[in-house]
Amino acid sequence: MGGDGSDRRHVDRDRERSADVARPEVAAFTQLYRDYRTRLHQYALSLVRNREAAEDAVQDAFLGWVRRLAAGGHPAKSGPPRQAAPYLYASVRNRCLDRLRRRPEIALDQAHVELLAAPVGDEERIGLRHALNRLLLALPEEQREVVVLRTWHDMEFAAIAALQGVPVNTAIARYHYALARLREELAAHG
Amino acid sequence: MDDDRVERLLRGYELPQAPRALDLRVLEEAEGILALARARAAATGIARELANAFGFGYINYVIDLVTSTDAEYRVDLI
Repeated sequence: MGGDGSDRRHVDRDRERSADVARPEVAAFTQLYRDYRTRLHQYALSLVRNREAAEDAVQDAFLGWVRRLAAGGHPAKSGPPRQAAPYLYASVRNRCLDRLRRRPEIALDQAHVELLAAPVGDEERIGLRHALNRLLLALPEEQREVVVLRTWHDMEFAAIAALQGVPVNTAIARYHYALARLREELAAHG
Repeated sequence: MDDDRVERLLRGYELPQAPRALDLRVLEEAEGILALARARAAATGIARELANAFGFGYINYVIDLVTSTDAEYRVDLI
């Protein structure tokens, strides 16, 4: 059994290596996908609070980027990752907002999504994870978005403001309102 | 608890993993789109070479002229 799994992994790795050499555009896209999938998935989850809709938004955003490259004629040469990130974030956001316009936001008590994963062995964070997840999901959408992008995506306030289409000061204020709210709720939680 | 403490607490969390099924869907479909683009580019290249070889290079010139954007056209003039 173990030998089969190991052999299959070797075969997969060999296939990946030969694909890297023969199809550099596929290797470049795979790397881009690996670099951004986790962050974009969490971002989409934080916006729509629904697993299926979040997955659809991430899938559409990445495939939109690939179609853009393919339409350029030379997918391997165009579209370095520096240009990809703003496109992917804007695309995920637009798709999520479009979904929210078409269907009402899922009620908080029906939103079974996890925005956080506690590090193994970190008892304090493990203990607070569920409560903090609920508090984050309960924040107003625009405040939740700023907190997520600022905290886990290392995004500058200017970039967040550009994404939300608001002045930088508004993005900063939303962040501080959200932190204050989380602080109060955590204090009440004990 | 102050804002810094809340920030540190939040930053200590990791992101949940994206589902494996999503990886498979996206990578497979992307590979298909890129393969099609590669085949299209190769076919276009062969057609252009054939046109040149048989003395119909002006067709390539006309196609380039029609399909190039304004920006590319201006750069050509410079």
